[in-house]
Amino acid sequence: MSVPPLLAFENITKSFGAVRALQGVSFDLRPGEVHALLGENGAGKSTLIKVATGAHVPDGGAIVVGQRRHAALTPSTARAAGIACIYQQPALFPDLTVAENLGLRLEPAGALRRVDWRGRRVRALELLRGVGAEFSAEAEVRDLSMPEQQLVEIAAAIGSGARIVIMDEPTSSLTRREQERLFGIVRKLRDDGAGIVYISHRLEEIAELADRVTVLRDGRSVGTFAADAVDPPALIHLMVGRELSQLYPAAQPASDGIGVEVCGAGCAEVGVADVSFAVRRGEIFGLAGLVGAGRTELARVLFGLNPADAGEIRLEGRAVKIGSPMAALRHGIAYVPEDRRRHGAVLELPVSHNITLAAHRRIFPRGWLDAAEERRIAEEFIARLAIRTAGPDAAAGTLSGGNQQKVAVARWLAVRPRVLILDEPTQGVDIGAKAELHRLIRELAVTGLAVILISSDLPEIIGMSDRIGVMRGGRLAGILPGGASASAVMTATLGSAERKGAA
Amino acid sequence: MKRPTTGAAPGWRRIVFRYETLLVVLLVIEWLVFYRFGTSTNRRGIVVGFGTMERQFDILRHSCEIGLLALALTPVILTAGIDLSVASVLGFCAVVFGRLWHDAGLPVWCAAGATLLAGAAAGGVNALFIARFRLPPLIVTLGTYSLFRGLAEALTRGAVTYTDFPVGFLFLGQERWLGLPTQAWVFLVVALFIWTLVHRRMTGRVFRVIGFSPEGARYAGLAVGRTTALAYVMAGAIAALAALIYTARLGQAKADAAVGYELFAITAVVLGGTSIFGGRGTVPGTLLGIAVIAVLKNGLAALPAVIRLNAAEESAGLLTGMLLLVALALGAAPKLLSARRPRTPLPENLPIPKSP
Repeated sequence: MSVPPLLAFENITKSFGAVRALQGVSFDLRPGEVHALLGENGAGKSTLIKVATGAHVPDGGAIVVGQRRHAALTPSTARAAGIACIYQQPALFPDLTVAENLGLRLEPAGALRRVDWRGRRVRALELLRGVGAEFSAEAEVRDLSMPEQQLVEIAAAIGSGARIVIMDEPTSSLTRREQERLFGIVRKLRDDGAGIVYISHRLEEIAELADRVTVLRDGRSVGTFAADAVDPPALIHLMVGRELSQLYPAAQPASDGIGVEVCGAGCAEVGVADVSFAVRRGEIFGLAGLVGAGRTELARVLFGLNPADAGEIRLEGRAVKIGSPMAALRHGIAYVPEDRRRHGAVLELPVSHNITLAAHRRIFPRGWLDAAEERRIAEEFIARLAIRTAGPDAAAGTLSGGNQQKVAVARWLAVRPRVLILDEPTQGVDIGAKAELHRLIRELAVTGLAVILISSDLPEIIGMSDRIGVMRGGRLAGILPGGASASAVMTATLGSAERKGAA
Repeated sequence: MKRPTTGAAPGWRRIVFRYETLLVVLLVIEWLVFYRFGTSTNRRGIVVGFGTMERQFDILRHSCEIGLLALALTPVILTAGIDLSVASVLGFCAVVFGRLWHDAGLPVWCAAGATLLAGAAAGGVNALFIARFRLPPLIVTLGTYSLFRGLAEALTRGAVTYTDFPVGFLFLGQERWLGLPTQAWVFLVVALFIWTLVHRRMTGRVFRVIGFSPEGARYAGLAVGRTTALAYVMAGAIAALAALIYTARLGQAKADAAVGYELFAITAVVLGGTSIFGGRGTVPGTLLGIAVIAVLKNGLAALPAVIRLNAAEESAGLLTGMLLLVALALGAAPKLLSARRPRTPLPENLPIPKSP
C-alpha cells in the first residue's frame, strides 16, 4: 500500500495537569478503510478524537492531513480538511428543522446572507435520501429519535464532503435493524474512498466492520493490527494486558458483620434494576463496568438522590428507607460523587466549611456555631488526609484536583459514616495523591466501614477490591473474587454478544 | 467584599480596603453634606437642623419599614433568590390588619398576631412555588408582587382607608420607648435575629451553600427545599411586621401602602455587599446599606433645591441608583485589577501538615 494516509498522528502527547492522557500516540487512517479504535475507559480515545477535531491542542507531535503537517488543528481547519465527527450524543439544535440544521452546518455563514430556502430543502432531501432516512426534512429535530438524529449528523458529515469520518460509539443506542442500516452507510462511505475511525466497545462489531484495529492503553498505542488477525479474547488481552503497575495496600480480613445489604433494589427512573449484593464491614466492594452501565446510578439510588422504587436496602441487618440524601446521611451512608467540582465540594466555600458541611451536628451543638470546634475538625482532617492547602480558610477552588477530592472525602469522614460510597475517587488525580487516597481508603475499611468503590480504572479496582461486582445495562452482571484477572473483569464488563433493544 | 485571604496582607490594609469601610465613608460624606446644606421643619412646623437628635430619630422612624424588608431579603438573596413581592405583602397585610380590627372587631393585638400569620402564609405561597415546584424566584415573586397588591385593592375595593387605631397601637409607630422611637427597638430585635440566623446558626450556612451551589448542598445531605422555603416564609412574616409599623406610623392602613419599597430594600441589600448571585453577604453590610439609603432619602427631602422643585422622591431614586452603580463598580475594582495581573498558581511545595 503506497497510498498516502488521509490522516496521520505522529507521537501525539497531551496532558491535563498531572494526568498524561496521551503519551506519544501514532495512528494513521488510509482512504477506503474502517479503522477501529479500542481501549478501556480513560485509555485516551476521547482525547485523541478531540485532537483530531481541533477541540484539544496537543502538547507535542504532529498531525498530517493530506499533504500538510500541523502542530495542532482548530475546529475550522479540521472541518476544512474534511474531518467530521459523529458523537454519541448528536449535537443538533432541537428547535430547528432538519433542513435548517443541515443548512447551518453546510452553508457559508454570514449575518446578512439571504437564505435560499428552496435550495436548502432540496439539498437536505437529497442528503437524507442518501442515508436512507424516512423522516421529512421539515421535521423538528426534537421530534426525532436518537438514531434518527444520528442519521442527520451523518448526512451533515457526508454533505460537507468529509473524507475522514470519526464515529464515537455510534451503535450504543441502536436496534439491530438500525445498526444494519448504519453499517451499510459506513461501508458505502468506505467504498467511496473515505476513511472511517470507528470507536466501539462491542468487539463483535469490530470483526464485522473494521479493516484494521488500533488498541490504546494508558494513553499509548499498543499496536495496530489487521482486524481479521485478532479475535475478541486477544483484543481484551491487548486492552488490559499489563502488570499492575502500582503496589496497592494489602487487603485485610473483613469482619463478619454485614454493613450494607442490597436486595433486588432498582429505580426505573435511572434504569437500575434488580441489584442484590452485600458488603461486610471492613470490606471494599468494587463496582466495575463501562461508562453508562449504571454504577453511578446505583450509587445515587443508595444515597437517596434517586430513591429506590423496588427492593430493599438493609443497614447492619435493619431495613431502611433512603428517600433523600438527608435520610442517607441520618443512616450513616456517605457518597463521594464523581463530579467533585459540581457536587463533591463547594468551590467558593473555605476548606474548613467544606469539611464540616455534612457534620453540622458536631459544629452546631444545640444549634449554635462552635467556631473553635469547626477549626479543630478542619485542621484534624487537613493533617490526617495530608490536604495541601494554604490553610483552612482558603477557598476549596484554589486546591488541586486531588486535594479537592480529599476535602470531599474528609467531609464524609467527619460524620463518621457506616457505609462509604466512592465514585471514581482517583479520576484526574496525580499518581502521588492517588497512592495516598488508596492507602486512606484501605485504612478506612480497616476501621470497620463498608466501602463501595466505583472505578473505571481496572488496575485500581482489581488492586483495591476484596470483591468486584460488575455492572452492565443497569444490572449487576456478576460478582468476581478480589484479585480476579483483568481479562476476566473486562470480559464480564463487555458481556457476551447480546444486544440492547431500541433506546 | 470578603474573600478568603490566603496572602499575608497587613491588618490595616484588610480593614481599609474592605467594602464596608467604603459604605461608612459614604455615610459620613452624606451626613456632612446634609448637615451643611439641609434645613427642614418638623411635624409641628418648627425648623429642625440635620444635626439634631430629633432629626436622627426621624430618620430611624422613616427607615424602619424599608430596613425590615431589606433584612427579610438578605437570607433570600443569600440563597441566590429574590423576592419582589415583599412590599406588596406589606400592603396586603396592612389591609388585612385593618379589616380584622375594624370590620371583624378583633382586639388590636389579636389582629396584629393574625396579620403576622397572614404574612407568613403569603411568604408560604412564594415558598411553595420556588422551593417545592422549583420555579424561578424572579418570575414567581413577580407574579405574587401583582397578586398581593391586587388582593389588597380588592379587599378595600380600592377606596377604603382604615383609621382611628387605638393609641396603644399607634405607640408602636409614633412614640418613643426608652429614648428611642418604638419601632427602632423592633427593628433592632429583628436585625439581631437575622444576624444570629445568618452568622451563627446552621441555617445561615445552608443559605450560603444553596446560593453557591444548590446541587452541592443536596449532595451534602442538606435540607435544600426546607431552608429555601424558610427564607421566603420569614420574608413574608417580616413584611407583615413592617405593615404593622407602617400602619402605626401613619395611623392609617391603605391598599397602596409602601408601593415601590421593594426596590429600595433590594438596593440596600446589594449596596450592603450581598451578591445578587448568592452565597456572599453579611447582615452588618445590609444594615450599612439601609443607613446609606435612609440618610439619603431623608436628607434630600430637606435640601432647599429639592424642596423648591418638589422632587424629593425622584431625586432619591436618581441618587440611590447612582450610588448603587458607583458602589458596585468600586467593590468590583480590586477584583478587576487583580484579574489583569497574571494569576500565580498555588506553589507546588506547600507545607504538608504534620500529623497531630
